[in-house]
Amino acid sequence: MALRWSRVTPQIALLPSVGVTLVAFLGAIGWTIYMSFTRSRRLPEYEIDWENPFRQFNRLFNDAGWQISLQNLIVLALGSGLAIVVGFILAAMIERERRGEDFFRTVFLYPLAVSLIVTGVAWRWIFNPQYGIEAFLKGLGWEGASFNWLSDPSTAMYAIIIAAIWQSSGFYMALMLAGLKGINTEIWSAARIDGVSLWRVYLEIIIPMMKFTFLTCAILLSLGVIKAFDIVLAMTNGGPGQSTWVPAYYTINAMSAKGNLGLASAAAVLMLLITLAVFLPLVALTAWQQRQAGKGDAA
Amino acid sequence: MPQVSFEHIVKRFGGVTVLDGLDLAVEDGDFLVLLGPSGCGKTTLLNLLAGLLDVTSGRIMIGDRDVTELDPKDRGLAMVFQSYALYPTKTVEGNLRFGLSARKLPKSEADARVQWASDLLQLTPLMRRKPSELSGGQRQRVAIGRALVKHADVLLFDEPLSNLDAKLRTEMRLEIKKLHDTLKPTVVYVTHDQIEAMTMATKIAIMNGGEIQQFGTPDEVYENPQNLFVAGFIGSPAMNLTDGRFAVHDGAPNAVFPDGTRIDLSAYPFKSSPKDGDAIAVGMRPEHFELDAPGALPGHTAFDLRVRMVERTGSDALISLDFADDQLFVRAEPDRAAKTRAGETVPVHYPTAKLNLFDAREGRRL
Amino acid sequence: MTDATVMYPRKPKRIKGRSIAIIVFLTMAAMFFCVPLYVLIVTSFKEMDQIREGAMFSLPTTWTLEAWHFAWFEACSGLSCSGLKTGFWNSVVILIPSLIASIALSMVTGYALALWDVKWAGPFLFILFLCAFVPFQIIMYPLIRLTVTMGIYGSITAIAFVHTVLAMPVLTLIFRNFYKDIPPELIKAAIMDSGSFWRIFVEIILPMSGNILIVVLILQITSIWNDYLIGVTFGGLGTKPMTVHLANMVTVSTGTVSYNVNMAAALLTAIPPLVIYFVLGKFFVQGIAAGAIKG
Repeated sequence: MALRWSRVTPQIALLPSVGVTLVAFLGAIGWTIYMSFTRSRRLPEYEIDWENPFRQFNRLFNDAGWQISLQNLIVLALGSGLAIVVGFILAAMIERERRGEDFFRTVFLYPLAVSLIVTGVAWRWIFNPQYGIEAFLKGLGWEGASFNWLSDPSTAMYAIIIAAIWQSSGFYMALMLAGLKGINTEIWSAARIDGVSLWRVYLEIIIPMMKFTFLTCAILLSLGVIKAFDIVLAMTNGGPGQSTWVPAYYTINAMSAKGNLGLASAAAVLMLLITLAVFLPLVALTAWQQRQAGKGDAA
Repeated sequence: MPQVSFEHIVKRFGGVTVLDGLDLAVEDGDFLVLLGPSGCGKTTLLNLLAGLLDVTSGRIMIGDRDVTELDPKDRGLAMVFQSYALYPTKTVEGNLRFGLSARKLPKSEADARVQWASDLLQLTPLMRRKPSELSGGQRQRVAIGRALVKHADVLLFDEPLSNLDAKLRTEMRLEIKKLHDTLKPTVVYVTHDQIEAMTMATKIAIMNGGEIQQFGTPDEVYENPQNLFVAGFIGSPAMNLTDGRFAVHDGAPNAVFPDGTRIDLSAYPFKSSPKDGDAIAVGMRPEHFELDAPGALPGHTAFDLRVRMVERTGSDALISLDFADDQLFVRAEPDRAAKTRAGETVPVHYPTAKLNLFDAREGRRL
Repeated sequence: MTDATVMYPRKPKRIKGRSIAIIVFLTMAAMFFCVPLYVLIVTSFKEMDQIREGAMFSLPTTWTLEAWHFAWFEACSGLSCSGLKTGFWNSVVILIPSLIASIALSMVTGYALALWDVKWAGPFLFILFLCAFVPFQIIMYPLIRLTVTMGIYGSITAIAFVHTVLAMPVLTLIFRNFYKDIPPELIKAAIMDSGSFWRIFVEIILPMSGNILIVVLILQITSIWNDYLIGVTFGGLGTKPMTVHLANMVTVSTGTVSYNVNMAAALLTAIPPLVIYFVLGKFFVQGIAAGAIKG
């Protein structure tokens, strides 16, 4: 009796989370996908637009704002990809020179503890032409200094990228540091006795050994970029004009400012598709890694 | 001229002194095994020689070069690591070549060396594989090959067999021995396994507590352990060590045990003579006992001892006997052991000249 | 052997050139990382007159807490001018039920999935793994409808509910990975002894969860405190968290901008998570690593 009861209780205990998953995730996703095929404006209309079911998607791709959003998504992904490089360099240096490890790690990671709304305030101030870095450099005598990036549509995105790198490098540093520490110390000794230069050891041995760490970082970065909203809001609020829109911003804007639920749903569906395109390799990778791990120890 | 010599080596980690003024020298072509329990400083000594650690003071010579301040790569040595430390992202061939690539050899020379090593170690069919696709024994051979291609004056091994199973370990032991016989490099080999030491070494340095307890050929350390530590450490099954007192009876030296048992030591080759009443330890190797001798044997001490227990391992057997409030282990033929029953009394003889006497307090051999 | 130390003495190794280069580089990088925080701090203590002179890196000529005082008690966010303290207390009130609900739900779910024989655990975990990465936007509007239907939209309850929902997949995976490493013998023995799902949870599992609880707690406190989007979407008048108040405060476009007040307000918002970070940094690192890899 006790045994049968013990089989039922765990399933009862799982009911709330199953309910949340079914309703708030799967149900909601389905609902939004459904909405993207309707002509919903401010309020949902539950009739699929059979005449032209892809009306919302067509509108989306003809919308300059969406095109800018996609371009910016790529620019942001490539630009903030530097955070992985910076993270690796910082981690490699910290790992090489053990002194001050705790201090440096603490400093490089603190941006992650602070809300992007807060750091946006600081970065906007730094890019402020009257009081920020530009004024500071002019004060030092560099008259040509121009860091008024946030008010120029062609440079605003780069300001966001700098803030993004600043914010997330520490995170990748932490992941890389864990990866570096997992490397057998005798590999380093062997390379020292072989007399191979440090550059070659990193390029030919260490970085290839850490390819999964790099891949994980790249996937996490992509997922983070797709979700990027706070940083745009805090830095530029999408401006100047629509020059710093990203899909996450576009979707929220379509929903709240434009009040166009159908369009917003279509944009959200595309965000989901982009996420899946990045995410499925991660699933495959995890499965593959687990199989590798099952094969026994890799020297 | 010695090929490798350590002179007054001191090594401290923070406040902890691991080696305190150690001296040791190996001749060209010697196979030196640094043997000792874990934490005895043997791996530290090896890493100092490799240049992976810096000495606190002292001097390390290879040939006539003072290498103490040199980078590992400039010391002219190669090393095989406990975990093999193969480069996992490179093929077997890549592993062999990577170490050579830093030496700016002409390509033909590098090719020839890689070819030579792969023939010697039967690696040719494996050259395109990654280390993760190799068995433990194969990885071990690649690691040795990577060291050999460098044609280094001195080869270092850091417990290279400890990750292998028992059967492979025996095979690799023979293989390394064979390599040393053909190539005659100078080898410094660290292990805690005395079988490895006894089978491969031409010289053994037994270490404990950061000091060399004894340095000599395998036979010397086995037959003539210089102190109690070596006596207890070398030999499997271990030497029987029984505490007693030194006493002179009727002008003859004797060992007297607490229960009154006495051994006449007249035939023992004393190095130094203890004083009457000194505490001593008497060591007897299990395999030197003579069972069932017909009457008295000349130069032997005879006992009649009660059997406690018989342990048979198939090829061998060990009989434990009550002796002087303690027990003695005696090696016996399996057939003999099969006839022995616990509780019966057997006559045993031990050759007096093969006794090992130690000063019980200082541990040194008498 | 006491005289051995005198023979062939070695100079104590000097720090190598490369070490110095690395430390210099890391220090410069650290300084760059500190610039935004430094600027926030010095500016918040300056008077507006000094700010207008430029020189962003200079220290305040007269240190004043005026900006801090104003930001806390008087600054305007939207139409109400009661300072950031309203937002602060809203955030505190949001934080507590969100923490309790999200951790309780995920913990029990993770425990049931890791240690009990549930046939559909595998597929469910996979779905949770997927949900952990779903962009918020795709479930945002349905959640608004849901909270409206439940009659809680605009309340603290709604915000806590959404935090609980959104954190559930990730936290469940973290707890499940932690509990999965508990030796199965222990659970088997416990099942033989008592067999009760809840008793084993309360008497055995809960006391073993100290470490992971701290990690998750820190992860959740920072992410709930720093959240903007959920707060602005699901909070009503008077229930919006501190970040939303801050954003409204600094984006005001009328009148002269009091930069020192903005900086003080930003710092006030950042202090709680920063304190936790500097005090419990080790757990924070574990938390982000666990939250990132999930796998």
